[in-house]
Parts: sequence; structure tokens; C-alpha cells
Amino acid sequence: MADLDQKPKVGASRRDFLRGSGIAAATAVITGPAVASLDEAKAAEPEYKVVADTVTLKLQVNGKELSTEIEPRCTLLDTLRNRLDVTGPKRVCDRASCGACTVIIDGATVYSCTTLAIACQGKKVETVESFDTGPTGVPHAFVQHDGLMCGYCTPGFVTACKSLLDRNPNPTLDEVRKGVDGNICRCGTYIGVLEAALAAAKAMKGA
Amino acid sequence: MKAFEYVSPSSAEVAVKALDGVDAAPLSGGTDLISRMKDLVTSPKRVVYLKDISAIAGVSGDAASGLTIGAETTLAALLSSKVVKESYPALWQAASEVGTPQIKNMATVGGNLCQRPRCWYYRAGFGLLPTKDGKNMVREGDNRYHAIFHTDGDALFVSPSSLAAPLIALGATATILGPKGERTIPVASLYQIPKKADDRELTIAANEIVTKVTVPAAKGKNASYEARQKAAHDWPLVMASVNLDLDGNTVKSASVIVYGVAPVPYRAEAAEKAITGKAVNAESAAAAGDAAVQGAKPLSDNGYKIPLTKSVVKRALLAAVGNRYWEEG
Repeated sequence: MADLDQKPKVGASRRDFLRGSGIAAATAVITGPAVASLDEAKAAEPEYKVVADTVTLKLQVNGKELSTEIEPRCTLLDTLRNRLDVTGPKRVCDRASCGACTVIIDGATVYSCTTLAIACQGKKVETVESFDTGPTGVPHAFVQHDGLMCGYCTPGFVTACKSLLDRNPNPTLDEVRKGVDGNICRCGTYIGVLEAALAAAKAMKGA
Repeated sequence: MKAFEYVSPSSAEVAVKALDGVDAAPLSGGTDLISRMKDLVTSPKRVVYLKDISAIAGVSGDAASGLTIGAETTLAALLSSKVVKESYPALWQAASEVGTPQIKNMATVGGNLCQRPRCWYYRAGFGLLPTKDGKNMVREGDNRYHAIFHTDGDALFVSPSSLAAPLIALGATATILGPKGERTIPVASLYQIPKKADDRELTIAANEIVTKVTVPAAKGKNASYEARQKAAHDWPLVMASVNLDLDGNTVKSASVIVYGVAPVPYRAEAAEKAITGKAVNAESAAAAGDAAVQGAKPLSDNGYKIPLTKSVVKRALLAAVGNRYWEEG
């Protein structure tokens, strides 16, 4: 385990090398033949950290700071669902196609299944759990307008609609269609989704 | 996906160092690389994350002096640029049809240019020149989305970048950074047709990255037009990007680049010749569209791309001069 801020596992800096290898290395520096190799080590000193093992990831999820251990290959979706118990985003296609895993990072919707968790270190993540469920919120409009059948795509659609309305509080039907273009509903409740998005926009204005 | 080590460098120079000497892959939006890693088509030892390098992101410049587009500019940021929308509609129109809102937020200009082919044989792990029992799997198999030009060779995939066609038509250059320093090449020179199994379709080495794209001053008129199978989330079947240098109404010179028909972005020289010296109207544009398919040799399942190519070239030329007759009731 290594924190991102801790010393790198591979390609340690000269200072870390000396600190880590203790007296043996320090002694070697003083002896003649080692001086040349120290210069070489300085020339080859990497200017980047290599994360080869697990790291501590810190995320701002729905206003709360959450932290867990991850490998570099963990996706944001699997990290949220399996490590942080944030299960609103759903794993469906796992290939950036269906939109069920949609979350909002720093104000922009992304497919969390195709985003590395490690690349989100310190970022602000919003998921469907944080949305207003009152009468002027998007989730309520989905209930009122039958925007779901099996419900598996619904968190993604709700997130896409919420993000669209945050940027464009007064969308046309065509803009709603484009706004939810990145989400697929296999039950085919698109009409309900489009109506819900337009109704939510109206309800928000009335609020 | 196999385990890999991860580097998030602070600058493009450091990124190139991190890519050098190991089996490494640069990562931007991830919409290509992460899916390839999940499918075990690509399993790099190291992933170098470029998207947080703000020095190579963003759009600057204007129509009079030209544009500089950082490689890590997201498609969403590119589309929000007023100058791109107003003066480089060929680029804006092509970008606006890429992916979905989520993909536009994730994907970058450099990633779009350097994404690997979407050929389903390549994506299933059979390589760029998929062969079985000495026969080309694309030629023998389902090739409905494959090339109609350069089909004498074994590379039958189509070049996947929607932004390459407009950028080439606009005369853009790409700046490449590698261990030996920086070089600038025409965007068209990013691509090649692989001949041997281990050739890449990209000319840049695995330890090089695109840092920016430079688009010359906007002269004349430009437009893109694409035909697609469905309205939602897909690559175009065929798209044409055109850039016309006009003298009054007469075309002094033309660039016509077609996406979706060849393993590289395809320059339709015959179409360029056909429209040069003429005013763009329904008749001359249709003649240029017909000329665009000269030399095409479709495969067993993709002959439909011939009429499609004729139409998109015609419509892109007409769109460039403001005639979008197909949108009128």
C-alpha cells in the first residue's frame, strides 16, 4: 500500500534512495567508485511517480469525503459500488455505451465504468443518491411520468437529465433527446423519460 | 483488465519520459484505451495519464490567425468554442456528432486522432490484418463497415477518427513530442496503411504523443456532412469534410477528405479536381460526388458505401456554400 503522496515504489528519487537504503548506501557515496554512479543516478532521476501497487484514493462523493484502497486498474464505477457502497450508478455494458453508470465529475457527466478511479483523486463526484427527491426534482418527475420499467437504466437517465437541466434549465424536446443520447433503455421508456425531463424543467422554474 | 502501473505526469515532457523504454500506453479520456484493456486487446505494463496536463489543453487563436488546439482539449470544450463553431464549421460539425454527451466530456482531440481502429476483428484480438488459414478474415467475413478504397492490401479497416477528416481538409498540422524532441507534421501524416502484422496504422511511435493541433487561418468555406446508421451514439458510416478556397463563387482550390472508406483518411483527388474552377451548385457538386468514388473497390458487404460516398461529398460541398436543401421541408 502506498499513498499517492508517499514515495514512489519504482524509480525512487535520490533522496529516497539514500534514506531508504540507509548506512550501506550512505557509505557507498563516500567511497570513490560510487561517485560516478551517483551522478548517473542523478541524471536518470525520474521526475514522475509510478504507482505500481494499491494506493489510497480520496474522493468527494456527494459532499462526503470517502477513502479506500484501490489498484490503478480499478474503474470509478467498481470503486464506488464495491468499495464505497455507493450503488446508485449501475454496471450494465461496462464499455462506455449504455449510460447506466453515469456520474457527474466536477460538473460534467462521464461514464464511470470507463474512468479510472485513480484519475479522480480528490475530485468531486455526484451520483443519483444526492439528488433532490422532492416535487421539483428529477427523480419525482420520473415517477410521475413513468420514466422507468425495469429501472436498471434509470439512475443513469436521471443523472443525465439532472446534468442537462443544470446547464440548460429550459431545454427543447430536441435538446433533451441530445442530452440523454448517451443512455440506453432496453425496455424502451424513452417517451416517459423525455416527458419527465421536460416536466422537471417546468417544476424547477415554478419552484 | 490486467494490472498496470500508473503515472500521472505534470507536463508533456515528463509524460514522454514516462512512456519511454517500457511497454506503456498514453491515456486521455479512456473511451478507447480502457475498453481495449478490458477486452485484453491491449495490456500495457504502464499507463501514462495525459488528461490532467493543463498546458496541452484548450483552444486559442482566431479565424484570422489560425487556431491552436491542445491535444487534451475535451470534445465538449472544443464544441463550446465560438470561433470553432463560426469559422471552422467542418470541425465543429464533425465533433458535434462524436459519441454522446458523456463521451464528449471525457474524450479529447488527441485521443480522437490517435484512437485505434474500430474494426470488429481488431477489437476481437485478431490484429489489424486479421488472417485465418492464410485468408483475410475481413475479406472473407462480415465487412459491412470496412474500406472501399485501398482494398487490394490486407488492411481493410477504416480510419476511426472523425476529427482527422476536417482537420486534414483545413490543412492542420499536429505537433508530436517524443524523446528526441518536438516535430510538426501534417495531420494526414499521422496515418499510414499497415503492411505487416506488427505495423501500426499510426506513424507516431509508442513513446511519442500529440501535444497540439494547429489549424491555419480560415479562408473560404468549409463543412462536414456525414451519413450514419442511426441518430444515436455511433461512428459515421461515411463522412466528407471539405474546405473551399473561393474566388467569388468559383472554387480556386478544394480539399475533399472522406472518412469511413479507407484505412487512412481518404483524399478524394478526383472530386477536388472536378469541383475546381466551378461554382458549387447541385450539378457540379453531384459531379464531384460521382468523381469521389473513382477507383473504389468495395468488399462483399459494403457496396452501399459507393452511393453513400457520392451523396456525402455532394452534400458537404453544398453545405459549405450554405445550401442545405435536405433540411428544407
